[in-house]
Amino acid sequence: MRILNCPLNGERNIAEFSYGGEFHRMPEPSNCESASWAEYVFFHDNEAGIVTEWWYHNATSYWFLAERNTITDEIIRTFPASDIFSDRVDFGDDTGSGTK
Amino acid sequence: MPSTNRLPAPYGLLLDRDNPIAFSFENKRYQGIAGDSIASALAANDRWLLSRSFKYHRPRSILTMAGQDANTLVQLPADPNVLADREPVVTDMEVRGQNYSGSLDRDRDALIERFSKFLPVGFYYKAFFRPRGIWEMWARLIRQKAGLGVVDQSHEPDYFDKQYLFYDVVVVGAGPAGMEAALRAADSGCEVLLLDENPVLGGSLNYARLDVEGQRARNLRTTMIADVEANSRIDVMVDTVCNGWFADNWLPLIRGRRLYKVRARETILCVGSMEQHAVFRNNDLPGIMMSSAAQRLMHLYAVRPGRAAVVLAGNNDAYGVALDLLDAGVDVKRIVDLREDPHYDDIARSVIARNIAVTDGHAVYAALPDPKTGHLGSVDIRKIVSDGVCGGKGEIIECDLLCMAAGYTPTYQLICQAGGQLDYDDDKSSFTLTKLPVSCQIAGSVTGTWSIDSVIAEAGHAGTVAGNATGAVQQHISLEQPENDADNVNLPWPIFPHPDGKEFVDFDEDLQIADILNAVGDGYEHLQLVKRYSTSGMGPSQGRHSALATARLVARATNKTIASTGVSTARPPFVAERLAHSAGRSFYPARRSNMHYRHLEAGAQMLHAGAWYRPAYYGPKESRVDAIRSEVSNVRNNVGLVDVSTLGGIEVRGADAGEFLNRIYTFNFAKQPVGRARYALLTNEAGTVIDDGVACRIHEHHYYVTATTGGVDRVYQSMLKWNAQWRLDVDIANVSSALCGVNIAGPKARRVLEALCPDVDLSAAAFPYMGVREGSVAGLPARLIRVGFVGELGYEIHVPQHFGEALWDALLTAGSEHKIAPFGIEAQRVLRLEKGHIIIGQDTDAMSHPMEVQMGWAVSHKKPFFVGKRTIAELEKKQQKRRLVGFVINDPNAPIPLESHLVLDGEEMVGRVTSCEYSPTLDKPVGLAYAQPSKTESGSKIVIKSTGGTRVPADIVDLPFYDPDNRRQQL
Amino acid sequence: MKVNTTPEAGALAPTHYPRRSQLYRQHVIAGARFEEVAGSVVVAEYIDKTDEAQQAAKLALVDLSTLSRVGFKGAGAPDWLEEQGARLPDSPNRARRQGDGSLIVRLSTDEFLFLCDLTSDSTFTARLWDSWSFQSTKGVYPLPRADSHCWFALTGVHAPTALAKICGIDFHTHRFSKSEVAQTSLARVSAIILRDDLATTPCFLILSDVSSAEYLWDALMDAMLEFQGDAVGMVALRTLTTN
Repeated sequence: MRILNCPLNGERNIAEFSYGGEFHRMPEPSNCESASWAEYVFFHDNEAGIVTEWWYHNATSYWFLAERNTITDEIIRTFPASDIFSDRVDFGDDTGSGTK
Repeated sequence: MPSTNRLPAPYGLLLDRDNPIAFSFENKRYQGIAGDSIASALAANDRWLLSRSFKYHRPRSILTMAGQDANTLVQLPADPNVLADREPVVTDMEVRGQNYSGSLDRDRDALIERFSKFLPVGFYYKAFFRPRGIWEMWARLIRQKAGLGVVDQSHEPDYFDKQYLFYDVVVVGAGPAGMEAALRAADSGCEVLLLDENPVLGGSLNYARLDVEGQRARNLRTTMIADVEANSRIDVMVDTVCNGWFADNWLPLIRGRRLYKVRARETILCVGSMEQHAVFRNNDLPGIMMSSAAQRLMHLYAVRPGRAAVVLAGNNDAYGVALDLLDAGVDVKRIVDLREDPHYDDIARSVIARNIAVTDGHAVYAALPDPKTGHLGSVDIRKIVSDGVCGGKGEIIECDLLCMAAGYTPTYQLICQAGGQLDYDDDKSSFTLTKLPVSCQIAGSVTGTWSIDSVIAEAGHAGTVAGNATGAVQQHISLEQPENDADNVNLPWPIFPHPDGKEFVDFDEDLQIADILNAVGDGYEHLQLVKRYSTSGMGPSQGRHSALATARLVARATNKTIASTGVSTARPPFVAERLAHSAGRSFYPARRSNMHYRHLEAGAQMLHAGAWYRPAYYGPKESRVDAIRSEVSNVRNNVGLVDVSTLGGIEVRGADAGEFLNRIYTFNFAKQPVGRARYALLTNEAGTVIDDGVACRIHEHHYYVTATTGGVDRVYQSMLKWNAQWRLDVDIANVSSALCGVNIAGPKARRVLEALCPDVDLSAAAFPYMGVREGSVAGLPARLIRVGFVGELGYEIHVPQHFGEALWDALLTAGSEHKIAPFGIEAQRVLRLEKGHIIIGQDTDAMSHPMEVQMGWAVSHKKPFFVGKRTIAELEKKQQKRRLVGFVINDPNAPIPLESHLVLDGEEMVGRVTSCEYSPTLDKPVGLAYAQPSKTESGSKIVIKSTGGTRVPADIVDLPFYDPDNRRQQL
Repeated sequence: MKVNTTPEAGALAPTHYPRRSQLYRQHVIAGARFEEVAGSVVVAEYIDKTDEAQQAAKLALVDLSTLSRVGFKGAGAPDWLEEQGARLPDSPNRARRQGDGSLIVRLSTDEFLFLCDLTSDSTFTARLWDSWSFQSTKGVYPLPRADSHCWFALTGVHAPTALAKICGIDFHTHRFSKSEVAQTSLARVSAIILRDDLATTPCFLILSDVSSAEYLWDALMDAMLEFQGDAVGMVALRTLTTN
């Protein structure tokens, strides 16, 4: 069983975690093209190579991100979500002022 | 009386000669010795025939003595397909042969062999497919003849379990390489596990011959085992199989009734090699065995493998075997050396010096059975003219034992699972293994290293590298790369076709040279296809003795290299594994509310909701229908109590709590007053309804949100994931388990509570429908929510979990004068259906969006964002295809539709029933169904295809079915 | 399971108190003598068992679920707790003993679990509650750990090996240090496991989902079987603490 290095709990069997899907940034929901919204919601990249994924440590309810090579299944690094999401996100009104 | 073939001590390393063991084989009594395997005990008694082959029912006997063939599979009363050469014999064991008709010695099915010409490879595929359907008839006949042992269907389960183990270094295989690797790894100060599938340490040192005198192996064995046993950092496990290699050095070990799950920082696989047979006519006769099998018989079990032997030599190890045979009193008639110009070592020279006849450049062209016994009677040896081709004239040598020393193949299975790549070295005529992960090393004969000094140097190097790599090093040890002085032990082509065939490549499946070539001829050129078409390597021994020969044949037939032909994938398990080992103890987490036993005491029938136990209804099973109806009517007329402890509860606290809920749920919560609850509908990004509950505003910056029993974990996870991105000032805590809850519902609910809640004003004005209060119930700290799920005046009461039972007792006591009675999930489902409330997951599916389920009112379009908003906006632009509607069935004789019965428009499916129950309140069946949008007005009629295909007409009505003005819940 | 939970005259019984461990029926069946603690009862000892302290030194399981404990979390929690006099563990997944015998377990950067001492005499938790309010204490949120989790102690020299039958983490004492904490999966349920030795006896405190208490208790007892582990009461724990 693969070992996953949780940024909070250290090295653990991967059975302690849940896979949370590919990491994607949400397009501006109020004014992006319908096609790009559909792409975001319904399509997976399913890339062969190094991808960024959400992972969740079940016992601590802790979300984090991992870079994984989908060809070799090697986990390259793991890091807290706050490395990417450092600032508060707000949504504009329907006219679409964009995310901050 | 000593058994016929038993050798005197010190032969028989595994035997405890003071402990005789009586057992039976095929209903005949035999005498063995403690430490014997079934096969060795029988061989000691000159009983060689053990089984019948899978296809042709040919007599079979010992081949490898190492569990690497299917020849020794026998039947024990409780276990089929037991390897007789591995299974220790125990007192009164009843062993039988398997796969025969009549008797093992005179198997009527052996006649099949006469038709072998008509049973070509792929026979089944070719023969039984026409006319269509004919296979069903043949299958019954064929299946009666197929398969080997018999399953004991009266078997009682035993206690099997699992254990985790943790080591710095795990060494698999405790031969000289494994022991040396373990010792050197331990030198660095780390913790080492050394394991072996055999009952003793030593590996080949226990039976192989390293020098002319036959002393070196014995001495080395003694010293190394003493060193290992004296080393406190090395744990030893024998009789233990490592049954796979999984990512990051995760090893399943099986010993006895336990599966060990071992995590190692470093692994060293010293798994050795498997001796390979030569391919010639009748190479499967009893009496023909691997040279190592003969050595194992003599040295481990004190069994003389024959009286008159021929040794087939593809390497110098054959000469060591010849010396061993001579020492054991076997008449060595001839050494037939396959090599044209052999390079002899000291042992070989000493054999020649003892005037043993050696014939170079010859092969055993065919073996001939003794016509009376079927055992090996003689061999026909012929000069090798070219690769695989023998001269026309041969010499017949009488013998009852033929030892084959034709070469080896590395025990590649675990190594390939670890990512190792199998290549073929044309110079050495041998498979090689490369490209292992850094934390996994191999050493010993598995690498092709052969002389004992090289093996030890290589293994010591691997051990030191592993020890240093673990990091927990007390002593970092410097290294020198060892040299490999490997001699050639493999022949390029020990395969000799015969015009009459029966030169077996795969003994398990009775595959001959022609079968492999015909498979290629039929167009299956890739090895994986050859395997599946011919079944080579698909038998119990999984290619252990057939992979190399198959690869050679396929490579030559397809003009490819053996390296590029390769072997088929060797997946775990390495050896056959009991399901009980995989299962271990059954861990099915079970969740119980604090009131669980009160339900049982009240006679509840419990049902499973995920891991939870919940009361379905109260009363005996035979009065289920009446119990549910009376529970429903008591709620409608008096007051009922239902355990809702399994409901999810999530605290959302902080300055952004309202903003957070606005983003997560479809409704608007910004203007929700403190002390009020609001329905909360959850959609995902695809706009699908995935959960619901109520959001209670406890404080300006504090909401308590309920979620469904099955949905709360997912809801909580998703909330945390969103806020990991939004970074709002909010804390989210799942407190589902921390609270026990009941819903007390019915027109008399308030009167019951009034007696217990001195500090909460329960009047309708002070505590209206959808109000939330904190106070005490029966002296217990409680949160009260006025909800209407079942459509009556009702209060959800949530208290700290450990008070659950006390709360339940207090309410039942206080309510007794108002005829309070508990009700279960079944009654609750009826009650909520009468009230037209949907259950997420039952009345919704993966496509249901809010408009489809008539929940458009719960969606706020004014908010700048909520999770499903954009998709819902897109869906609203499209024409709806279906809608959830309420229906009633007015025909009292119609069968009540069940969930998932179809809604039809003519013969076209347009929807399905999601809920349908007999409503005691309306005295007719009511239900919810998806129907075409044109049929959603009250008064429309739909047709449901009910049980047995009956078309049941149903009338669409407005929801709810019961109390449309909501007067009851707002009392 | 039908249990006569009517106590013998004069004897202390779980049903005398509204706060009851999920496991109290099992304790009654096993012949427990109870003692009062923190508005409820805990098993003092089992009447038919001899030398529970010796048992606990080898391998034993104790139900501490009725003892007091609480959680605090939030971005403001570390500072506020230190202001209240808490000595916090330096990093997540460590525990630290307080002056009054209670234990603070750091579950993440800003989440803490407070466990009372075995006599439940510590007053620190109560003082924290008194000084906390939703309005005035910004960014600090209490968690109902006394009710969300059951609480067991697994004691004795065989405890690490028994745990190795149901948990994939190495709890052997030379690998898992004193005051170390693991939040992990135990017999397929999530659990907080921390090492808090009783003097020289290894002791692991286990907190897990309260609704799974009976399941986990049974799974632990099953894992303890081969080492002759058994349930014991609080008296044994106190004996080992002072030994």
